[in-house]
Amino acid sequence: MIPTGEATLGPFFPPRYVDAAANDLTQFEGRKAQGEVIEISGRVAQEDGAPLENLVVEIWQADAQGIFRHPADPRHAQADPGFFGWGRAATDKDGRYVFRTIRPGAPAGRQPHVNFMVMFSGLLRILKTTMFFEDGPDPVLSLVSNRRNLLIGKKAEPTLVTFDIRLRGENETPFFDD
Amino acid sequence: MATIIRPRDERTQPARIVPGYPQTPLRNPREPLVRREPTLSELTGPLEVAGRVKLLGGDIAGHGAAQAIGQLMHLRVRVLDEDGAPVGGTVVEIWQANAAGRYIHPNDDDHAPPDPNFYGAARLVTDESGAFELRTVKPGAYPVPTGDGWWRPPHIHFSVFGKVWLSRLVTQMYFPGEPLNAQDRILNAVPDAAARERLVARYVPPTGNPHNALVFEHQIVLRGKAATAEQP
Repeated sequence: MIPTGEATLGPFFPPRYVDAAANDLTQFEGRKAQGEVIEISGRVAQEDGAPLENLVVEIWQADAQGIFRHPADPRHAQADPGFFGWGRAATDKDGRYVFRTIRPGAPAGRQPHVNFMVMFSGLLRILKTTMFFEDGPDPVLSLVSNRRNLLIGKKAEPTLVTFDIRLRGENETPFFDD
Repeated sequence: MATIIRPRDERTQPARIVPGYPQTPLRNPREPLVRREPTLSELTGPLEVAGRVKLLGGDIAGHGAAQAIGQLMHLRVRVLDEDGAPVGGTVVEIWQANAAGRYIHPNDDDHAPPDPNFYGAARLVTDESGAFELRTVKPGAYPVPTGDGWWRPPHIHFSVFGKVWLSRLVTQMYFPGEPLNAQDRILNAVPDAAARERLVARYVPPTGNPHNALVFEHQIVLRGKAATAEQP
């Protein structure tokens, strides 16, 4: 069967779907996640640099040991029971999103990273990108030769990583088609 | 269970930049997207989202004295993968305008009256056959503030998770026989006519059950096929 066509989230996504704790990945089902707690924050802007409010950002990442909470991961049985791995945030009036999470470990063959999705009015397709913590050998990072620095979060403070997302224009974030 | 994700036929998916939709040239990348083969990171994804978010029931039309105004309808949807296998246990988020074409949202202060008995949002989990049912009123059409005659036809929004990161889908469903379908800039951003047709619900002729509501059926196909065991 042929996958259904995508459409924009539009301007009326119910605010209550951005649940109050959905951007805090540091606990799950009453257990605390293992690993170093960090904050990932950034500003999302369009071509003219204008910040975008109420844009929806979702992330998916491995736990502190680099294990994904999903049966396709061969190490899935050892996944941290206190870490769900998915979160959602909406940007504020300055275009800023914030996630509280743990620093992921390195999945097999990969650098530690966090997958991002951006959904908004004017985006007929979900935009997907990946944030890394530092440069290094990685099959996804290596696809983006001259712009790879734009995929690497900036260490603003010891436990704060800044990852701005520019949808179009100067320092445009590389997005992936997969 | 491993999932295989293959590139989609671009003609079955919307263009990113759409003439007459003024936000699209400001918000979509200028650089070509970087083609990547999915890795384990994108071939896994959140499976128990229902444990992380608050569910909202699928009956949003109200009852008795508190019944929403409009044409009562039942929408029966099945969520499938590319093999046609049901995607059970996945979270579906639904939102729509009321019968007058008004959303419950601070961004919508346009023209039409709110309906205190219509809530406009449901968040459900599909059953093991991939099905869910929504009891609602048929949404109204509404003008887009581009000021050049673009009206959105009646439609319902869906956000679906599926089994892996790359099966995540945000889409809209339309109604059969609506004259505004032919000029809608979002529906018609999909180049392939058959793919557009699949975004339109099927009208089910009334059988007397339910006696007071129209019935529509719809199918949502998420990306992904099951990986079959390799032959020795």
